[in-house]
Amino acid sequence: MTLGNITTFSGHLHPLIVHLPIGFILLAAVFNILSYNKKYENLKPAVSVTLLIGFISAVLACLFGYILSLSGDYEKSTLLHHKLSGITLTVISGILYYISTEKVIREIRMPKKLFSVLLLGMIALMSYSGHEGASLTHGNDYLSVRTLMQQVREKPASVQSAMIFEDVVAPILQSKCAQCHQGGKQKGNFSVENLQTLLKGGKTGPAIVPGKLAESELFKRVTLDPGHKDFMPADGKPPLSKNEIQIIKWWITKANAVEGKTLAQLKDADSIQMQVSTYLGFNKNTAENADGNGVTQTINADIPIHADTLPMAHLRTKGLMVRVMLKKPIMLDVTLPVNSGVKMSEIRDDLMPLAKNIIWLNLSGNNFTDNDLHILASFINLEKLRIEKNPVTDAVCNDLISLRHLEAVNLNETKITEMTVANLKKNTAIKRIYTWGTAVKPAN
Amino acid sequence: MSDFHHDAEFRLHTPEFNELNKKLDRRDFLTKTSLGIGALALGSLFGNKLFSSSPHIAPASGVATGDLEADILRALPHFAPKAKRVVYLFQSGGPSQFETFDYKPMLAKMMGQNLPDSVRKGQRLTGMSANQSALPMVPSYYKFNQHGQNGTWMSELMPFTAAVVDELCIVKSMYSEAINHDPAITFFQTGNQLPGRPSIGSWISYGLGSDNNNLPTFIVLVSKNGQKDQPLYARLWGNGFLPSKYQGVQFRAGKDPVLFLNNPDGYDGKNRKEMLEYLSKLNQMQNAAYGDPEVDARIAQYEMAYRMQTSVPEVMSTADEPNEIFEMYGPDSRDSGTYAANCLLARKLLEKDVKFIQLYHQGWDQHSNLPSGIATQCKATDQATAALIKDLKQRGLLEDTLVIWGGEFGRTVYSQGKLTANDYGRDHHPRCFTMWMAGAGVKPGLVYGETDDFSYNIVKDPVHVHDFQATLLHLMGIDHERLTYKFQGRRFRLTDVEGKVVKDILT
Repeated sequence: MTLGNITTFSGHLHPLIVHLPIGFILLAAVFNILSYNKKYENLKPAVSVTLLIGFISAVLACLFGYILSLSGDYEKSTLLHHKLSGITLTVISGILYYISTEKVIREIRMPKKLFSVLLLGMIALMSYSGHEGASLTHGNDYLSVRTLMQQVREKPASVQSAMIFEDVVAPILQSKCAQCHQGGKQKGNFSVENLQTLLKGGKTGPAIVPGKLAESELFKRVTLDPGHKDFMPADGKPPLSKNEIQIIKWWITKANAVEGKTLAQLKDADSIQMQVSTYLGFNKNTAENADGNGVTQTINADIPIHADTLPMAHLRTKGLMVRVMLKKPIMLDVTLPVNSGVKMSEIRDDLMPLAKNIIWLNLSGNNFTDNDLHILASFINLEKLRIEKNPVTDAVCNDLISLRHLEAVNLNETKITEMTVANLKKNTAIKRIYTWGTAVKPAN
Repeated sequence: MSDFHHDAEFRLHTPEFNELNKKLDRRDFLTKTSLGIGALALGSLFGNKLFSSSPHIAPASGVATGDLEADILRALPHFAPKAKRVVYLFQSGGPSQFETFDYKPMLAKMMGQNLPDSVRKGQRLTGMSANQSALPMVPSYYKFNQHGQNGTWMSELMPFTAAVVDELCIVKSMYSEAINHDPAITFFQTGNQLPGRPSIGSWISYGLGSDNNNLPTFIVLVSKNGQKDQPLYARLWGNGFLPSKYQGVQFRAGKDPVLFLNNPDGYDGKNRKEMLEYLSKLNQMQNAAYGDPEVDARIAQYEMAYRMQTSVPEVMSTADEPNEIFEMYGPDSRDSGTYAANCLLARKLLEKDVKFIQLYHQGWDQHSNLPSGIATQCKATDQATAALIKDLKQRGLLEDTLVIWGGEFGRTVYSQGKLTANDYGRDHHPRCFTMWMAGAGVKPGLVYGETDDFSYNIVKDPVHVHDFQATLLHLMGIDHERLTYKFQGRRFRLTDVEGKVVKDILT
């Protein structure tokens, strides 16, 4: 370990230690005020010792704060204010402690009220110093009246009306980069405040070069290997998501890093529409459902996130296999065992509340008729349906034509004819129809 | 506990055991409480609806919704699964890629020439051919033809498979790390060359549970007509450190697939349920003292055996199978225990929603007499393999069933032993070989990956054994990095610390 590491380490202790004097000095003031009340008179002697601990911790905080300031990267004037007010505060707390010791009290007989006023003045100074310190860490506008007054950009009404920089790229940078690269803390002399500062960049050159991904330092840094020393955001802060990176990439290359343009005004916006709409939260479920291996699945957004467990429990007691295919949204795979002897009337009321959650359904070999299967029209999110080996006829297809997500229907060994196949072909979602063992002639 | 008034005296009272008991209690407490907190946090995922329904349910219904919620919380799928069942046709011994799928026409001109060093790149060979004075290259003895819509090259040894080639997703660029049978097959089946890890089927069974409570989740069938040149061991379908109930159940070839399921003469089995209930009580009492998960496994196995008394004879019966089905699977399919009969049985088990079926066919280890040996192997397997695909397809089961065909490694381009005009052998070669998948979630009619002109090195899209395993789990809805089991202080996975899902072959 080098000495440099020790200084960095102790510097980083400042934000921790600095809260001790804040607490103790506040406590001293509270004790002081309370001691005016008869009930708490006995707290009076405690003021002195609390101030002492506050003073000692303030000295430590100053020391570590100084070490931290050596690491640089802070806005100079704010730092100066913070430093001066902090040191003054420490000195005053020392003096007040000295005045409050019994020995001194006896000699100078300071009026109690004056002491209290001094103490409160110190709290004011401490608040100011603390605010300056917070501005250094979190940026100048972290806690400001402007935040209160600021007009928040309204969320765009649609993806097409979203402004690529103002509504998408800038908020990404605000949430992931601004903490260190804006306002009081412009690490590497770089700020993400607006497009101009982005184009200007920092120490290592321009952060964004319109149209040129390879020269855009910002893009390079956020796409490095997370273990790389230049990777951003640094220090294990949350990295940009794949979606966000794709958006920034598109903005630099395809949109030439423009500002003030909506997606509708830009060429090739189709290719990024999906990612933008995910970022803005327009499509909830089709959101990134990516696993650790970056395989993305598109999930039908109409599937309800929740499902009622009561009918699920009922179905299970009646012998059906209710398998959870996905937890969010809740996708179900429901199977009634072959020859179960269960009648549709016994399970209909439990199937219906789950109709939108059932994605795969297997009701094969249970002597169900067209009438029994009328309920299928409500299973609007169904992707795979097995009703083979049931005495169903061509009438059954009426209930399947409107199912927009239905991909495969198994009608093996049923009483259907060519008519069903012809009718089902009207539903373009259906890709595979199984008709083995029916009157339908095998294709080819 | 009044029933167990005598259980204190059977308890061990050694200091070590008391200490262990204390620890178990503490661990139990921590696990339960921490899980409880986790469940509360997870509860917000489902909103109130899921939990608000619990008071309405009558306890008499037999299924408490509390269990159901826990069940949903526990439900593994990390993402929507494509496959619901897997049938893995393991070709044990290392089938040669040269005579089956990997067509290398260049070799015809180079027959007998020594393998160039530029290709071998100093790779070590097995002890069986390392001392050969020459490594003469040898082309396939059998002809290749193009089949299917994409004109896929297939050997004449597999005419039936060639006919269904449009259903297959052929991966020519598989590679393994092990060069000998035992480590290589152990690697394939458990993700590690050393024995002791759970097999793929056990992991899936552990992760996803059963879809048919009357049959085991993981069933193993070993064909009796494969030449037993290399042994198979039960640990290949073992549960490793997972609870024992997740191990594969091997069905025997022959009349009694599971021994002792039939009631002995003179016993009608009427009071068996009562007997088992009492036995289960005894076992539970025992387990209250010892907390041994093996006792739980034993209880579960007794119950499974009881249910299998009816379910197994039903699934084994081929009486309902029409003649044309037997004809499709080939003449062997009437002879129980052959590869063909096992393929047919596999289809019947898949129809019953058995989750993972592992077939093994031995005899692919052709170090010598390869032309005749591999012809025998293909003849015994080709027709039934293709029939299984066709049968699953016509029944609509290929929708959500994944079929896998492959061995543990490939074979060398050079002849092991003497090369003559119509005889040669091939040694083990882990650096490239072919396997295929078909059905749920994989692209049909795709050939993925390429090898060089000598089928010695991979030149495009290599797929490691761990990548294959990761992809298999992915198709079942499992993130291979998140299905873990803590054992001896460490969380284990099927793919260890590696494995990438082969995205390009997914639909």
